[in-house]
Amino acid sequence: MGNVLNILFCLSLLYLATTTRVTAYLQVFVLQSILLFFIVMMPLLNHLSVFTLVLPLTILVVKAILIPRYMKKKIIYELEIKTTIEANIQQFNFLLLSVFSMVAVFVSCNLITKDAAVDPIPFAAAFSSVVIGLYVIIFRKKLIVHVIGFLVMENGIFLLGIAVASEMPFLIELGILLDIFVVVFLMGIAINKISSTFAADEVSALDKLKN
Amino acid sequence: MLVLFYILILPLLAGGLFFIPGGKKLKYQLSLMVSVVHLAASYLIFAGLVAPELHQWFRIDAFSKLFLLILSHVYFWVVLNSWHFLNRPTVYSPDKSTKIFFSIMNLYLFANTLALISNHLGLYWVALESTTLCVAPLIHYYRNKESLEAMWKYLFLVSVGIAFAFIGILFLAFSAHGTDIIEKGLFLSDLIEGSSKLNMVWLKAGFIFIFAGLSTKAGIAPMHPGEVDALSYSPSPVAALVSASLSGTALIGIFRLMQITAGTPVHQFAQVLMITGGMISLLVALVFMFKVTNYKRMIAYSSVEHIGLIVLGAGIGGAALIGSMLHMIFNSLNKTAMFLMAGNIHRTYNSRETRDVKGVLKNMRWTGILFLTAFLAVIAMPPFGLFFSELMIFRGLVEQNRFILLAVILFVLLFIFIGMSRQTFSILYGKAESEGEAAEPKSEKFNITHLSALVLLLLLASAGLFMPAVFTDVINQIAGELSR
Repeated sequence: MGNVLNILFCLSLLYLATTTRVTAYLQVFVLQSILLFFIVMMPLLNHLSVFTLVLPLTILVVKAILIPRYMKKKIIYELEIKTTIEANIQQFNFLLLSVFSMVAVFVSCNLITKDAAVDPIPFAAAFSSVVIGLYVIIFRKKLIVHVIGFLVMENGIFLLGIAVASEMPFLIELGILLDIFVVVFLMGIAINKISSTFAADEVSALDKLKN
Repeated sequence: MLVLFYILILPLLAGGLFFIPGGKKLKYQLSLMVSVVHLAASYLIFAGLVAPELHQWFRIDAFSKLFLLILSHVYFWVVLNSWHFLNRPTVYSPDKSTKIFFSIMNLYLFANTLALISNHLGLYWVALESTTLCVAPLIHYYRNKESLEAMWKYLFLVSVGIAFAFIGILFLAFSAHGTDIIEKGLFLSDLIEGSSKLNMVWLKAGFIFIFAGLSTKAGIAPMHPGEVDALSYSPSPVAALVSASLSGTALIGIFRLMQITAGTPVHQFAQVLMITGGMISLLVALVFMFKVTNYKRMIAYSSVEHIGLIVLGAGIGGAALIGSMLHMIFNSLNKTAMFLMAGNIHRTYNSRETRDVKGVLKNMRWTGILFLTAFLAVIAMPPFGLFFSELMIFRGLVEQNRFILLAVILFVLLFIFIGMSRQTFSILYGKAESEGEAAEPKSEKFNITHLSALVLLLLLASAGLFMPAVFTDVINQIAGELSR
């Protein structure tokens, strides 16, 4: 069951490579966050208690509700951001790149985790997410899409944390979630200001600061 | 535990309380008090006069002592000068920024202290990310286009970078799989003690990710752009804070990793990586020193250069390591003075472009003299401390017979010196091209920024000549930690 969720997580990444709508990007992020919630919940099902529920529920609230709502209301609607992402490369090439990278990640993860006590599937799923998140940041122009790319990357890192080191103390995990929330909040404010101070065609360039 | 109250809880309380609207002056006075208390406490800890009993989440070793003192010292001077800075006439309207300035400063102090004394890399990460969050609004102080872009770049690049550092921390956790370190809770002290039990491949991977990730925040090339933009377009006190103290907070994470790898086969690899990072930083600083047309950006690249030297020295080890720790102290003193003076120039000329600024030495007597002195210190003229620390780094190179590397470094430093002096002398001595631009020579009043820069430079000169024994003790302890 755990593996099914992880594979779904990977498939959501492929959807990122095929869609061109900003809201779809956000929906993929929400879907991933819900999957993350279930992945965290799975091992806890046998010994449920109020204390163990805090972390998964916080993930659900912060990543699947608070952040997407904030981005949707404060950024996408308020700024009337055009619905298409602006890509630097052809959509088909992006898909090819994503697929090849994911295959490479899966194969290499399978090799390096052979002699270690780690499950290759969540590990590879997590790493794919980090890589695709980076691609989104590199190959898309819009700032809001960059933020979503960053969030996809963060989701990957979270999954990696679950895959390799569930030993990270619970308070630290909460601290990380809080930090990410504030980062997104500040980035939202910044995007708002950028769109009101810069002319539309400058926004995606942001190249005033040079040597 | 009482000391922890002074260095950790007090800034947090102050940061929280100041969100209540109230008098700017009161906030300033209280912040100054907090910073004095913090400085006193850090000095007591540094000198070993207070050895607090700590919870296992905290750790105060030689590294924390040194970096805590640097942070506390820089922070004190920055807060002291912030009143003068906030009240000066300016063409921008940063009223909103002024309201939150002191709250954020105090929260920054809290987060930074927490990062320095944490005994858990996860806690360190959370605190480090919090410092980014505190610094971002401060960079945007002027609320204009450039500062907005600088803030966005800093926030985004550093957040992505630190996310990579977190992958590195996870790899480190993974390298401890199956050992008792994990059961104990993955604390730094256990990692350092039990480093031989770690899986070396994962440790290596962890080091690569953490080094690359923290480079964005420390300003090590090629990950430096966010840091350079932030330093050039933030207000001078903030730039001083970021360049002189926050880079150190990122560096301590790298040094912690060196502590863990010391005595393992990975250590040599880590050293090579650090030397490479340091060399790239020096080369990048060299190239851009001839390209920049903005004097604050020039200082920012000088910051990249000196962080590069520190990382390089730490990578080489031996005498160079001691030199690099000294360099850390001296660089923090020098950069604070330099950014404060650059701020004065910026206020008078209202431009950061070198071509708009001429004849500072004539128009702004005190600022000119102090900027020139700080410049002489930054290019490592004796008797300023940076001369002695660079000499130590070179000695470390000679001891290890790395003459080619030494020659390259000397060559690069020479050309950085040429590039930097070209710009600096044009600011200090040049004549305005048209008559209209030539400002009337005004008699500049000696103010608190000049006093601060003077004291900092005097400290820098005297510390080079008479280093107190307690400093050498702590630095020797650090060297011992890294050469187990």
